Amino acid sequence: MTARWWPHTILRAAALLAPPAERARWLDEWRSELWYLPREGATRFCLGAFRDAIEVRRHSEALTPPLASPTNCLAFLALLATVSLCLVAALAGQLAAHATLWRMPTRALPGECLVTLLFSCGLLPIIRLATPHPHSQHPPRSWPSKLRASTFLALKILLVQPVLLCGFVILLIAGPAAPVAAQLALLALWVGTLRWVIDDQHRRCPDCQRLLGGAVRIGVASRTFLEWYGGESSCSEGHGLLQTPDLSASYCRSGQWLRLGNSWHELFPAASKGRHS
Amino acid sequence: MAEPQKLTHTSAMILHAIAVGHIYGYTVMEATGLPSGTVYPALRRLERDQLIRSQWEKQSIADAEQRPARKYYKLTRAGESAVEENRRRYPLLEKLAPRAEVEQS
Repeated sequence: MTARWWPHTILRAAALLAPPAERARWLDEWRSELWYLPREGATRFCLGAFRDAIEVRRHSEALTPPLASPTNCLAFLALLATVSLCLVAALAGQLAAHATLWRMPTRALPGECLVTLLFSCGLLPIIRLATPHPHSQHPPRSWPSKLRASTFLALKILLVQPVLLCGFVILLIAGPAAPVAAQLALLALWVGTLRWVIDDQHRRCPDCQRLLGGAVRIGVASRTFLEWYGGESSCSEGHGLLQTPDLSASYCRSGQWLRLGNSWHELFPAASKGRHS
Repeated sequence: MAEPQKLTHTSAMILHAIAVGHIYGYTVMEATGLPSGTVYPALRRLERDQLIRSQWEKQSIADAEQRPARKYYKLTRAGESAVEENRRRYPLLEKLAPRAEVEQS
């Protein structure tokens, strides 16, 4: 026989999947339905709540990705960097036993991060060339917004260095067991991380550096004749739209940033809230 | 006039169940035999498509009967025409979800 508390526990666990703003109302709805149920089928009934919570989360307008704001993104990277540095410091002793060429006293960590930074700076232009960048066409920007974007990018590059160093140390320890796999993994980690830094920058609004959202498809390849088709994402603050074509053509080689004027701000709740407050 | 919306069999079943008086999520489940993980997300989708609308019953009524307030669903005008259209498309729906006896207060 099912304990009385068990279905409620399932509902509380499922509620964690629902967006915080709608969680209380969502839980009320499921609890009230549960009250009318015979106790035998309650557990099975409550298991369906997980699917419903995911559905609510998928369509929630209030929900923004956790790394959407530049501050959150930098805070997350700083936390990751701290954890990585602690891990490197803890592994330093083990490294001395495994590798004869590489000695890493804890006090040398900033210097080691500088080495990874120099290596990354050498690798970045190559990765940037190999990565298609949709922001190549955008109207001229003011210098504060250019400065903000450059600072944000520089901080991101700086903060991923401890993560790369941590990966390097782990793979150095694992190296003797599988040297080729360790080298390949190290290269993949380096390229993957730097590529994420560049891709993330391209997915952000050039004015406020927030992640673009509300992606929609425009046009269908089979129904378009010499017309633009592809994807469009918007800045939640109403600064503009990023239009990315599915196929590059002579009239539209890469993505373009369409800046929106103040008259559009009514359509963006985040922008109008910021202006009224 | 806009063309009536074509629905999946599951959505048509749920819509039909509401049309015949099963107005609560759990009673829709009972009438259709579908699990809760299908019915509740489908109800939200139908509401987003403006085929049904939901409302919480008055707290005072629930309090008087010493039970929690319940959310119930009603067809919109677009929902009613979708039900008519889908009865023609799925003629066996009537047998799958029979009319509710006493549901609405």
